Amino acid sequence: MNRGLNRFAIFVACATFFLIIAGALVTSNDAGLATPDWPLSNGQVFPKMVGNLFWEHGHRMVATTVGILTIVLLFYIWFKEKRSWVRKLGIFALCAVVAQGLLGGLTVKLMLPLAVSSAHATLAQLFFCTTVSLAVFTSRSWIEARPLTEEKGILPLRYLCTGALVTIFLQLILGATLRHSATWDRHLPVELILAHIGGAVAVTLMLGSASLSVLRRHPESRFLTRPAKLALALLVIQLGLGIAAYMTRLASPNDPQPLNPMISITVAHVACGALVFVTTIVLTLRTYRVLPAAGNEASWAARPQEL
Amino acid sequence: MNKQTKVWLVLSIALSLLVLGSACGGGGTNKEATPGTTASDAGTAPPTGPTGTISGVISYNGTPPAPKKIDTTADPVCGQKSPNLSTDDTLVKDGKLANTFIYIKDGTVDGGKKIGEYTWPTPTESVKLDQNGCHYAPHVLGVQVNQKLTITNSDATQHNIHPTPKLNAEWNQTQSNGAPPIEKSFGRAETLIPVKCNQHPWMKAYIGVLKHPLFAVSDANGAFTIAKVPPGKYTVVAWREGQQPEEQTLEVTVAANGTAKADFAFPKAGAATSSTKSSLQMLPAIEFPMMGKH
Repeated sequence: MNRGLNRFAIFVACATFFLIIAGALVTSNDAGLATPDWPLSNGQVFPKMVGNLFWEHGHRMVATTVGILTIVLLFYIWFKEKRSWVRKLGIFALCAVVAQGLLGGLTVKLMLPLAVSSAHATLAQLFFCTTVSLAVFTSRSWIEARPLTEEKGILPLRYLCTGALVTIFLQLILGATLRHSATWDRHLPVELILAHIGGAVAVTLMLGSASLSVLRRHPESRFLTRPAKLALALLVIQLGLGIAAYMTRLASPNDPQPLNPMISITVAHVACGALVFVTTIVLTLRTYRVLPAAGNEASWAARPQEL
Repeated sequence: MNKQTKVWLVLSIALSLLVLGSACGGGGTNKEATPGTTASDAGTAPPTGPTGTISGVISYNGTPPAPKKIDTTADPVCGQKSPNLSTDDTLVKDGKLANTFIYIKDGTVDGGKKIGEYTWPTPTESVKLDQNGCHYAPHVLGVQVNQKLTITNSDATQHNIHPTPKLNAEWNQTQSNGAPPIEKSFGRAETLIPVKCNQHPWMKAYIGVLKHPLFAVSDANGAFTIAKVPPGKYTVVAWREGQQPEEQTLEVTVAANGTAKADFAFPKAGAATSSTKSSLQMLPAIEFPMMGKH
């Protein structure tokens, strides 16, 4: 375990979170087309950042920084990390950030088609998930975790957490599509709003049952209960933010321009959604780390160091 | 290099070129001209002889919504030049509504031919759209198909002109302060094309594109005049912007050297305004193709 590598991976994950916030600000301010060109902004590397160009070019600058950090992280992993699958994950992170940059450019050049903008927003979450996973895999707690021998319950926690994770990811796709389906001065499509509300109910049920099962079955394991508690707390905040975002967005088309509190609340909703997602990833990965697959307890306990 | 490798190589290069092509092309091109819609097509010349006029006044029913103050501080130039800018979507003076677009939608010219069967020549003079004080002037304007639209920037900051048509090609172009005018045209009739500035999201304008010159925009007193109308019976449309743009129609008969009256009143009596609707009524479904623009 390399402490420096782990700290740097955490730093990259934090930078990615900041990038997600910067991207959400672009959408909420309707700044995606503040410059029609890419990768330059109005033909310049450093244009005068006034009006909506502040948000769009600011997002590009943060994205470039995260791209560079990801390259450095890959080199760091390459020289300090022995596990080949972690190295491969580092390569995947670099591919994801490059693809994300290209998608960002494509959506500007094609003038924000819904499919490309939604894909850009979704890949952002997947990239965040990757950097957080790298931070998890290089952490001391991951390396030193000991297997829990007893899996109490009908449905294995691994499956419960994976189910919650998949539900949240689908909800993120729905949210990204909803968000990009109409600018601030147009009403959101009812069908997508209803689907997103349905998704919120599904996420609450799935994540609620997964987290509560963790707390009930393994109350002594802080390795599992900490992300479970955090996920539950974030879920409650996220539901509140979702309702607030809907209320403020409802009035937005009558405003002369994107205004607060609509901007700050919708951005907070996006950011909190990302945190719910990655917290659930941490929880899921940890269940896979310390809990054996059903019927495979003996063989797993014998080789935990491979993980 | 074996055959399979070559095939994959060719496919990869072709795909890359396709992506590059879609990413690099399109920006400021103007490829909207289509057969059957341009004035250069051979067609029947508009009737000569004495013409008439359609004139009227646009009234506003009830109390108009108060203009909303726009926060221009995001761009210091806008904040300095237009510190008290406010919305101009409902400009009412003494009960009369400005910025309504009135045009002949359909009708029959005396002699039996439909108005749409005539082909009007494209005017040589261009229509001006200026960006002044981080505000489009005029707010509502009309052009003929393929007529030149000249866009100027009178501000000491850069703007970003972005029409979002449904029938014509969409484009998005930056215009720096001091940059030469941008000249564009629209190849298809379309009423009305919203124009926005992506740098300053409060900036909005609307362009009506018609195949004929028989349109007008109501002035500050709500008055309008459509001149040189061939005698006949027509459907006149008055359009006004809004969250749900509102249209009203009126049948008028124009006599040679005569003036037909066409008065309109918005909103239509009994129609609910957007602010009185319930939340679910306020959420109409929009088009939802995954490749549609937002």
